[in-house]
Amino acid sequence: MGKKDLASVTTDLSALASMMPTQKPVVAAPAAVAQPAPTAALKVVPTPHREEEGVIQFSLSMRKELRKQLARLASDADMTMRAFVLNALKEKGLSVREDDLIDLRKERR
Amino acid sequence: MSIITIATSKGGAGKTTIARLILGRLSQAGLRVATVDADFNHTLTDWVRTASKHAITVEHELDETRIVPLVESLHAAHDVVVIDTAGAATQATIFAIGCADVVLVPCQTSSADIVEAIKTMNLIKSASLMMKRDVTARVILTGYQPNTNISTHIESEIAKAKLPVMETKIHRLVAFQEMSFTGIVPTSGLAGLQCANFLDEIEALGGIPEAAKMAS
Repeated sequence: MGKKDLASVTTDLSALASMMPTQKPVVAAPAAVAQPAPTAALKVVPTPHREEEGVIQFSLSMRKELRKQLARLASDADMTMRAFVLNALKEKGLSVREDDLIDLRKERR
Repeated sequence: MSIITIATSKGGAGKTTIARLILGRLSQAGLRVATVDADFNHTLTDWVRTASKHAITVEHELDETRIVPLVESLHAAHDVVVIDTAGAATQATIFAIGCADVVLVPCQTSSADIVEAIKTMNLIKSASLMMKRDVTARVILTGYQPNTNISTHIESEIAKAKLPVMETKIHRLVAFQEMSFTGIVPTSGLAGLQCANFLDEIEALGGIPEAAKMAS
């Protein structure tokens, strides 16, 4: 292998470099039309999979004291007990989705 | 005249610290030194302009199409040019490797550092093949903590990956951290000794021109 030649560096390495990201400063093109800001408030919309998969119920029994602790911890986390338990199970690897954590209770009037 | 490129695709591996050590020590020795800072964080540029007490020419350049011509022009007027690259494999990194007489790949004591050091060494090999010339490259261990399990483990991983590594290790020393504020590269104590050994090794690799050393 021969002596280093800076003149040929760009030519020799162009193919390899083209596979890499550039860090050349990007000159932003002027926006043709300003995009209007979204006006509607964000709303969580349950995805169809809930209806498709169906929701089942099952009962869970535990000591009274544990039930109290669960209620307190969920309240501290500003979550329903259901969401609190699902969230904990999510951390253990259960494939819980965001819409699984929605509070399904009817709002009190 | 020589060109030293410091590259690894891992951020925070010690690239800029290594650059400071080389530039500061060679400037102290009376060599004409310049650096191309190709890192978008421009940490080295800021250090040279605000903190450094050494005579160092610095150019901040991110545009890969300008790296080679810039290095060429600095190369003509300086004894050593150091190129500090970004913590990612970019087009600028490739061209900086292509310009180099010696490429230094800093590696701290973490698995991510080793993974990225291996990737960078492979990139250097590819560049070397495409240019049909050998590019001398060495891993330099930084943030090293002697007599710890992690350092022993890292060294065995580097040996397993068959990466060429420098004998000198840059330890996790306060003097190196202070350098970022004081602008003074350590010349005494353990830090000073490590700097001296580090520079000797770079010289042995051909990263410091003999003629320039003689002139100084």
